Amino acid sequence: MDLFLQTAINGLLIGGVFAAFSLGFQLAFGVLHVVDFAVGGWVMLGGYAGYWGSTLLGVDPFLLLPATFALFAATGYLLGPLVYRVRATRYARPALMTLAFTFGLFLVMRGGALTFWGFDTRAVSTVASGENIRIGPVVVPLLRLIAFLFAAALALGLFAVLYRTRLGLAIRATAQSREYAGLMGVDVKRLSALVYALYTGLTGVAGVLMAAIYSVTPETGLRYTLFAFFVAVLAGLGSVGGVLAAALFLGVLEAMVAVYVGSSYSHLVVFGTLYLVLLLSPQGILRRGAIAES
Amino acid sequence: MAHGITRRKFLARSGLAAGAAAGLTAPSARGGEAPVLRVGVVTSLSGKDVLGGNLTKRGYDFWAETVNAAGGVEVGGRRVRVQMFYGDDQSTPSAGADAAERLIVQEKVDAIFGPYTSGSTIAVSPICDKYRVPMIAGSAESPNVWKRRPTYTFGMIPAVDLTAGKSLAVIVEQANPKPRSAAVIGVNEPFSKETAEGFQKGARDIKLEVARYDLIPARADLAPVVSSVASANPDIVAVGGHEEVLINFVKASKALGYRPKALIMHYGVTVPAFAEQLGKDADGTLGITVWTPDVPYKDEVFGTAQQYDQASFKRWGTHPDYTEAACSASGLVLAAAIRKLGKLPPYSPEDRQALNAAIEDASLTTFYGPVRFAKSGDHHHCNIEPVPVLIQIRGGQQLTVGPQDAKKTDMVYPLPAWT
Amino acid sequence: MRGTAARAVLLAAVAAALLALPLWTSSYWTRIATGALMWAGLACSWNIVGGYAGYVNFGHAAFFGVGAYSTAILMGYDHEWPFFLTLPVGLAVAAALAAAIGAPTLRLRGAYFAIATWAFAEVLFELATLLDVTGGTGGLSLPPLLDERFFYYTMLAAAAGTYALAYVLLERARFGYRLKALRDNEVAAETMGIDTTRVKVQAFALSAALAALFGSIYAYWVTFIDPPSVMGGDLTDQMVVMVLLGGLGHPWGPALGAAALYLVNRFFWATWGDTAAYIALLGIAIGAVVLFLPDGLVSLGSGRRRRGALRALIGKLW
Repeated sequence: MDLFLQTAINGLLIGGVFAAFSLGFQLAFGVLHVVDFAVGGWVMLGGYAGYWGSTLLGVDPFLLLPATFALFAATGYLLGPLVYRVRATRYARPALMTLAFTFGLFLVMRGGALTFWGFDTRAVSTVASGENIRIGPVVVPLLRLIAFLFAAALALGLFAVLYRTRLGLAIRATAQSREYAGLMGVDVKRLSALVYALYTGLTGVAGVLMAAIYSVTPETGLRYTLFAFFVAVLAGLGSVGGVLAAALFLGVLEAMVAVYVGSSYSHLVVFGTLYLVLLLSPQGILRRGAIAES
Repeated sequence: MAHGITRRKFLARSGLAAGAAAGLTAPSARGGEAPVLRVGVVTSLSGKDVLGGNLTKRGYDFWAETVNAAGGVEVGGRRVRVQMFYGDDQSTPSAGADAAERLIVQEKVDAIFGPYTSGSTIAVSPICDKYRVPMIAGSAESPNVWKRRPTYTFGMIPAVDLTAGKSLAVIVEQANPKPRSAAVIGVNEPFSKETAEGFQKGARDIKLEVARYDLIPARADLAPVVSSVASANPDIVAVGGHEEVLINFVKASKALGYRPKALIMHYGVTVPAFAEQLGKDADGTLGITVWTPDVPYKDEVFGTAQQYDQASFKRWGTHPDYTEAACSASGLVLAAAIRKLGKLPPYSPEDRQALNAAIEDASLTTFYGPVRFAKSGDHHHCNIEPVPVLIQIRGGQQLTVGPQDAKKTDMVYPLPAWT
Repeated sequence: MRGTAARAVLLAAVAAALLALPLWTSSYWTRIATGALMWAGLACSWNIVGGYAGYVNFGHAAFFGVGAYSTAILMGYDHEWPFFLTLPVGLAVAAALAAAIGAPTLRLRGAYFAIATWAFAEVLFELATLLDVTGGTGGLSLPPLLDERFFYYTMLAAAAGTYALAYVLLERARFGYRLKALRDNEVAAETMGIDTTRVKVQAFALSAALAALFGSIYAYWVTFIDPPSVMGGDLTDQMVVMVLLGGLGHPWGPALGAAALYLVNRFFWATWGDTAAYIALLGIAIGAVVLFLPDGLVSLGSGRRRRGALRALIGKLW
């Protein structure tokens, strides 16, 4: 029973972090209709930003989160128009072209990281590293708790922006129809760059958290791309609301399988579930309206 | 049939090369031009295993540089200089086979030093058999390499099924109070899985209860695994994996406030990055090695193990671990075999067959330890002589804590709780 | 007419050059050429569904792996089948698997289909690491046949057969028109009376079987396989990139893309093998192709398109 509770806590906490880097991805998909293969690359680069920031400046990575957000958002703001341009081309298969383009971007990130920083595993250390809180029989790792709360705060903040501000209104309008939003006076190009910036900023920050909980190498990116895809599909592509629930489900599923079935089956079950969800309820997911035309 | 053609063509070409070399050696006997031994290195110079690949390359290169600085390998009164050629296996087996083929056919190497990973070694070894080029593998540790009974491949490091199991017996020997149970975690990847199986078998051999045995995917979150190990509460936790997983395992167990009485991991504890990245959290972790600078062996090229360590540190800026040492010692084995062969390179396939036989019969002591290759059984052509020693990280240093006749200090057991 | 004659001469010249290649190159270059042929064939098999049907399969490596494992298991010490008998088994298993998952999976479109195929491939990958029959992560070894020319000509036959089959079926038969029709507008194709599900599943099974064929030959050629080397996601990525580079939905564009990428890759590696910069260069190359040459290398062939691409390039640089 204690193990069950502990496993549930482990799963929920790590699910929260999955949510952190899936939120931005989902937003980018919902508004820009971009399936960004490079999402794991942004997580990986965020990890390195945290590592170098704390190593070179001697500051706790938590204090660097706002600066990391600014850095990644600025990069995304500059890069966004390029991605958007590929997506909005008149060529035959813009969705596929965007996927290929972001895959190229991912390779540039991975190859760059390998070239500049080598293959060494880097661990990011924070004040909360290794600390924990005991609640009865259950141990709550402090770092994971902070990361979870942080992700929850981000989700709430994003909702506040989407549903309480004029910018949010414009974003939602653009997600529904780029043409009509443009006719209503929304600067769609600028808004797209902003959304992409928001996405890269959020993902970079999530990367710092991931590197603090685990460690970072240039090869870590791909698994996060897979998880982001998983969470996004489960939530319904483009639906920001479902992200938190889907991410928590993924976290708990993986933890439970690892403890009660055997760790070696965890990925088999996770990807099997993803495949079945896609097959069994494509209608339910498709009804959300975000259909990627190929 | 087609095989015959390739071989005939190859013989013709080698014969030509030998003829040319004979033509060259005639004037050089007067002029003093040294003959050259061409050695190929196939290892991971890119891809996910590039770190270990460069470790092996350093070890091999260090032998070549040391020998050349002394004028070369002495063969029948002549000095033979060593020239190295490199082939990248890109951390994948098929590219390793490509690289071996290129080195043998295009660079006409007389011998090959083997890859970092066992998978690549398995893919390269049929190519070596095909062209009759001996390969000395300074790194491969998987027993699967030897189960295939390769003709032209030799391994310097005892297979991990021999070393991992013994290490648990050493822990039990050194520990007080005596441990009764162990949990074994292994990453589900070729070498790490066999390490875990070695741990499991070793535990059973000495009647330790195996409280949990679990294989994990390389990409898994380790918190659930640590929690389930903690709830089983064994005395010893043994982990088979590479450094990234080992680092994450220590981080996850600290975050969950769990510390076993003994934690042993393989391979990666002896890699400098492990202690560097974990800082004081690395303290107390046990590792396995078949060589340390403390071993009491020496040879004529590198001197004592201590001297090898110093010289290698001076050359590369880091202290060599056992893989690097085994790679340097590979060169000593090759040199001894050439001396026994007594012929100057380049070699014909028949010469190389004789060279291979000389390696097979090798019996020598190096700074790395004794080298003798098994000639039968499941460890065919693997050097099973070196005895594994147990090291423990203390203040970032690796200290030998067992077995009894090798230890420099007492093992810390049980480990203190996290602070 | 002149165009047809010129094309026939060109085709004959290419065929003659390919047939004669092992006679004048070293066994190392024969080996490299064998690899290039394999990738050309794989790219073509991906192109059937990705280029002609417009469904982006991100799990194609799974079928390559099915072929490789079929051959490795059947040729292994327990069964010791002759190599050529294992080929039809690999083909049949891959085709049957593709047909089974095809109907439900091909209902999904765009990104959903891409992610579903990826997930499916990951499931097969994980299974391969867990089962005993596949040797788990330790992989399987095959009895080595050390004859580069045998593999070169086998691979050449397989690749040439694949391109010929794809050309006849997709450019010259009704099957191809149906496929292209549903790619351009699936609803309209259905209204025209095309059984789109049937056509899609047929194409999917064909593409899977061809990938398995190359997997079988690969396994016997390299003599050692494990899950990452025959089912890894990067195999699929490479096929996709080769097709995009050569020309999506073009009959022989994928061969061009595959040869270019594979040879450049091997050249980089032989020259600058000790750095990882080539990965970043590869990424930049892909980005550049998407931005400036979205129709692939084949579009450089025709003068009109070349000028168009140049103009687009200049326009974009402004």
